[in-house]
Amino acid sequence: MALIEASGLTKHYGPVKALEKLDLAVEPGIIGLVGANGAGKSTLLKILLGLVAPTSGTASVLGMDSVRETRAIRQIVGYMPEHDCLPPDVGATEFVTHMARISGLPRSAARERTAEVLRHVGLYEERYRQIGGYSTGMKQRVKLAQALVHDPKLLLLDEPTNGLDPAGRDEMLDLIKRTGTEFGIAVVVASHLLGEIEQVCTYLLAIDSGRLLQAAPISHFTRRVPVLAVEVEEGADRLAAALVAKGARARQDGARVLVAIESDALYDVVRDAVADLAVPLVRIRQERGRLEDLFRDDAAAPGSAQ
Amino acid sequence: MTAQVDPEVNGLQVRSEVAPAIELVHAARWYGNVVAVNDVSFSLGAGVTGLLGPNGAGKTTLLHMLAGFLAPSAGSVHILGRSPHRDPSVYRQIGLVPEREAVYPFLTGRDYVKFNARLQGLRDPDGAARAAIARVGLEDSMDRQIGTYSKGMRQRVKVAGSLVHDPQVLLLDEPFNGMDPRQRIAMMDLLGVLADEGRTILFSSHILEEVERVGTEILVVVAGRLAASGDFRAIRALMTDRPHNISIRSSDDRRLATTLMADPAVFAVELTPAGLCVQTAQLGAFRRLIAGASRAAGVRLLEVTPADESLESVFDYLVRR
Repeated sequence: MALIEASGLTKHYGPVKALEKLDLAVEPGIIGLVGANGAGKSTLLKILLGLVAPTSGTASVLGMDSVRETRAIRQIVGYMPEHDCLPPDVGATEFVTHMARISGLPRSAARERTAEVLRHVGLYEERYRQIGGYSTGMKQRVKLAQALVHDPKLLLLDEPTNGLDPAGRDEMLDLIKRTGTEFGIAVVVASHLLGEIEQVCTYLLAIDSGRLLQAAPISHFTRRVPVLAVEVEEGADRLAAALVAKGARARQDGARVLVAIESDALYDVVRDAVADLAVPLVRIRQERGRLEDLFRDDAAAPGSAQ
Repeated sequence: MTAQVDPEVNGLQVRSEVAPAIELVHAARWYGNVVAVNDVSFSLGAGVTGLLGPNGAGKTTLLHMLAGFLAPSAGSVHILGRSPHRDPSVYRQIGLVPEREAVYPFLTGRDYVKFNARLQGLRDPDGAARAAIARVGLEDSMDRQIGTYSKGMRQRVKVAGSLVHDPQVLLLDEPFNGMDPRQRIAMMDLLGVLADEGRTILFSSHILEEVERVGTEILVVVAGRLAASGDFRAIRALMTDRPHNISIRSSDDRRLATTLMADPAVFAVELTPAGLCVQTAQLGAFRRLIAGASRAAGVRLLEVTPADESLESVFDYLVRR
């Protein structure tokens, strides 16, 4: 069954067209949701949560209609909002238990589940302290814990690494990956950081101006291209010239030389050219596509003025 | 430019010979018993520098001292040779983009930037505002109220407001925050252009991939101390206690391992299912020998990747010590 399905999904706020005839069908996995500011990401999340009704068209989560089966959807969906939404004057244990109770868990189960998810997100001694005194990283963990406490089948994460420092980001990304792979919970991550999406997601959903721009596995965007990038400390110009002289299609790009891979023998041609010139070799690597290219190529497309 | 190592914090400093746009000498700032910035000295000339550090390390306090909001509790802070604290004439040369959303939602983007222009006493606030708005690409939305802007647009209007008086020094606290991919690319390009015009730009960020794309000069603050400053590759080279790791894939890893092990520049080779992991203390020597060594061994080199030379590894080494 498709995780998320939409057909002709449209949402207008007065004259503003947040979503315009969006069609999509996404299988479970860790899904990266990207799009320009104002492209309709938040609106899509709100419709999937059953918080706003579409102007026309339909959306469903695991086969449940977002308008008619709102309550059933909320049983199976966990949501981590982007903005600061935690009460400052209670501890994480108290807050997450409360959220579990709201989801309908009995008192004892709520307590057990809370202990489990707080451990999963990496909150230990500090969980009895008041949330107001937490660091940004700890607050993000509490937000993730409350989204997980009722054992959802789908997690919606809105900018989960916002405000985190590099170590905090790494930990949060690792946590998202583990939640998605070890626990088999489908995850939708809305983020502006393409590097982050490349790192954790298996599938990319890109929307622009309320329409679907791209929907494909991440590997589709990051597959290898038949170009070898050779980076040297110095002498990139000499290396490029030597390779061209040996019949390779090569050109210099700053400290790198890009060579077309026409056959495997090319690797030896490159190795020998580097050895003959005795240039210090930094890196040899086959080039890959990048998610960023998606946003560079059509930089002049409508909606880019946003 | 010379490099120095501060043995206490694993740091080093690169000093410029020209009169620096920004100079701190043993600067410190404390709030009561809390020491936010502790004995920091550095100087910056034209160009872009990334200000990095964990949350709570003192980055914002540092930027606020540079902007003249805070006087140093000890030591000195100079912008273009003068102390910025309570000296409006220095403000004429400083553009600041604060982290918090200090914009009035009821103003239009154009009005906000114009206010900044008038605050700076510019003769043609209209023209200056228009020019600044054009630089950040907000012309189409400049007559809308800021309250209707997306986060990325608010961020850009703040940048326009900080640029309107054509300052020599730009201080930006997390300028990419809230921007979408396209806006990020545009802002990175803009910082590069502003630096090429000879300005001194200091920006804080947590997104190391992006910092690395904008430039190689960094300042790393850890617990209020300056842990390192300068070109991150030079900083990496000074970490002599950390051997360099290089991942290699080849047509015959075992044979290549044997050949490499025979060279004194290499002191460890690990054979893993993903390929070879080579450790060397002499990176330069290794880089010169690797191609010749594989040819001698009759091995095809498929991939050579430095495993810990990126800004991310350097930052990690500095912070997680």
